[in-house]
Amino acid sequence: MSDQASPPSARFPWSQDGLAGLALVAFGAVMFWAGLELPFVTKSGGVGSGLLPRLLAGLVVLLGIAQLVLAHRRPGEGTGSWPLARFLPVFVGVVAFALTIRGAAIGPLAIPPLGMAVAAPLAIIGSGLAAKEARIGELVVFAVLLTAFCVGVFRYGLGLSIPVAPWLIGF
Amino acid sequence: MFDVFANLGLGFTVALTLKNIGLCFLGCLIGTLVGVLPGVGPVATIAILLPVTLSLDPTGALIMLAGIYYGAQYGGSTTAILVNIPGEATAVVTALDGHQMARNGQGGLALGLAAIGSFIAGTVATIVIAAVGVPMTRFGLLFGPAEYFSLMIMGLVLAVVLAHGSILKAVSMIAVGVLLSCIGADMETGRERMTFDLPMLHDGIEFVVIAMGVFGFAEIFKNLADPEKRDVVRGAIGRLWPAWRELKENLAPMLRGTALGSILGVLPGNGAILGPFASYAVEKRLSKTPERFGKGMPAAVAGPESANNAGAQTSFIPLLTLGLPPNAVMALMVGAMMIQGIVPGPQVIERNPELFWGLIASMWIGNLMLVIINLPLIGLWVKLLQIPYRLLFPGIVVFCCIGLFSISNDPAQVIMAAVFGLVGYTLFKLGFEAAPLALGFVLGDLLEQKLRQALIISNGDPSTFVRSPLSAALLLVGLVALVMAVLPAIRRSRDEVFVENT
Repeated sequence: MSDQASPPSARFPWSQDGLAGLALVAFGAVMFWAGLELPFVTKSGGVGSGLLPRLLAGLVVLLGIAQLVLAHRRPGEGTGSWPLARFLPVFVGVVAFALTIRGAAIGPLAIPPLGMAVAAPLAIIGSGLAAKEARIGELVVFAVLLTAFCVGVFRYGLGLSIPVAPWLIGF
Repeated sequence: MFDVFANLGLGFTVALTLKNIGLCFLGCLIGTLVGVLPGVGPVATIAILLPVTLSLDPTGALIMLAGIYYGAQYGGSTTAILVNIPGEATAVVTALDGHQMARNGQGGLALGLAAIGSFIAGTVATIVIAAVGVPMTRFGLLFGPAEYFSLMIMGLVLAVVLAHGSILKAVSMIAVGVLLSCIGADMETGRERMTFDLPMLHDGIEFVVIAMGVFGFAEIFKNLADPEKRDVVRGAIGRLWPAWRELKENLAPMLRGTALGSILGVLPGNGAILGPFASYAVEKRLSKTPERFGKGMPAAVAGPESANNAGAQTSFIPLLTLGLPPNAVMALMVGAMMIQGIVPGPQVIERNPELFWGLIASMWIGNLMLVIINLPLIGLWVKLLQIPYRLLFPGIVVFCCIGLFSISNDPAQVIMAAVFGLVGYTLFKLGFEAAPLALGFVLGDLLEQKLRQALIISNGDPSTFVRSPLSAALLLVGLVALVMAVLPAIRRSRDEVFVENT
C-alpha cells in the first residue's frame, strides 16, 4: 500500500482484524435474517431459493467469528483515521447528477429533466470540492469543457441515448 | 496444427472488418487514455469503460473490451515508469527499474522496450491461446453440472491461495460476493430474495454497479483520504526506439518472460500476477550484473513487461474455454458477456465461433495497435500525467455517472455505485481485497445454477460431487491447495514472495 506510517495498534475489538470480524458477523446476520422466510427445499425436493443464501450467510458469520478469535489472540493495528466527511462532496455531486439527469420527484419538490448539460457540471463541481486544494474558478472552467467533451463522446460518438438538454434543445 | 491456423484465419476475417478494427483501435486508445491516469489501474479502467460497449454487438463489444484491457495495461506501465505509481500489482515490478531508467533520462527506452516486449509476448500468447483453446473446450464439454460446480469451487479456492494477504479474509470476501449475487429474483421461481423491499434490488445488483463502486469510486476515496506522492519525471524522455544492440540484449529476457507469463497466466486463481515477479527473479539470477537491478536495468523492464502481457493474455484461456474467470479483469469480461447474453463456457466456441476466434485474432491486432499508437502518442500521455488529481477525479466521477446511467437509464444505479464505493473503502480499511468479492459475485449465479442442476440429476443426493471421479479430483486439488496454503511452513515462503510486492 502507501508508505504512510502504520496506524497505532488498537485494543480488541477495535483493531483492523477485530473490526473485520465484526463487519462479517453483522453482514452475515442481516442477510441470514433477510433470507429467513425463503424455503430450504422446494416441494419437489429440489434446492430451494433459501438453501444457498442461508448456508452462505451462516458461513459468513462463522468466518467472522473465526476472524474475531484470531484478532483476539494477536494484537493488531488499528485502522487509522476515517475521513468520511471529506468524501461528502463526492456524494453530493453524484446525488445531484442522479436527481437532475432525467428529473425526479421528492415529495412536493419536482425536478424537471435537465440532462447532461446540468447534471454533468453538478457532478464535476460537486465532487471536485472534495479535494483539499480545490479552486472554484478552475473547476467551473474544467466542468464546462469536460461536459462539452462528454456530450460529444457519449451522445454523438457512442450514440447513447442520454438526455443532453431537454429544456433547451428538446433531447 | 493446421486447424489452429484455419481457425485463426476465420478469426482474422472477423477481426479485420473495418468496424472491428475501428473498435479495437478505439478500445486501445481510450484504454490507454484512462489507464495512464495515475491511480487508475486496468480493473478500474475496464469498470469505468464497460458501459461504453453496451450498445455494440457482442463480438464488437468484446473486441473493444479486450482493446481497452491491453490499452489499460500499457497505460499502467507508462504510469509506473514515468510517475512510479503502479496501477496494479503486476506493474510494481516495472516501476522498480523502469522509473530508475526514466530518472536516468532513459524513460523512452524503457517505454519502447516495454512496448516491443509486450508485442512479442502478445504474438506468442495469441498462438498459445489458439492452440490450447480447442482441446481445452473439448475437455470442458465433458463436464456435467456436478463437475462444473466442483471446477468453480476449485477455481475460487486457487484464487484465494494465490491472492495476497489473509486467506481467511479472502475466503470471506468470496462468500460475501456469492451471497450478494443471490440478492434479487430467484432464477427458477422468480421469488424475491433478500431485497429488503427496495425496488432497486428487485432485479439483483448489476455487476457494473459493484465493479465501478469497489474499484472506481473506492479508489477515489482512497486517494482523497491519503493523497499519493507523485514523482512525475519532468526531464527528457529520451529516444523511444532501442538501438539494435539494446534490442538484441533484451530479446532473451523478453522471450523468457513470455514463456513464464504464458504458463503462469493459465493458472486458475490470479496466476498472471506471479509472472512479472518470476521473470524479475530469473533475470536477476541469470544476469552478469545483478547489482544493477533496481538501479535502472533494461532487462528488468523488458522481461517482466513481457511476462505481464503474456499472462494478461493467456488468462483469457480459462475464461474462454471453461467460463472460469481467473482474476478481477476476467470477472469483468464475464460480466460484459452476460450483459450481451452470452454465457461463458465451452459451448461458446461451438455456438459463436466468430466471436471466439474473432476475439483471439483481435488480441494480436490490439497488441500491434498498441505499438503503433503508443510510441507516437507518448508526448500526449506525458501531458496527461501532469493533470493534477484535483481535476482528474471529478472527471472520473462524471464518467462513472454517465456510464452507470446509460446501462439502464436508471439514476438509482448511480447512487448505488457510490454507496458501493464507500463499501469498497471500508473493505480496504479493514484489510479485505475487493477482487475475490468480484470473482464470487460474478460466479455466484452459475454456481447456484449448477448446484441445482447437479442435485436434480442426482435426486437430491449430495454425494454426487464426490462420486464422479472428475468432480472428486477437482475438489481434491482445491482441498490440497488450501491445506498447503494454510500450513505454516509454506505459508511463510508464500508471504516472502509478496513482501517484495508491496
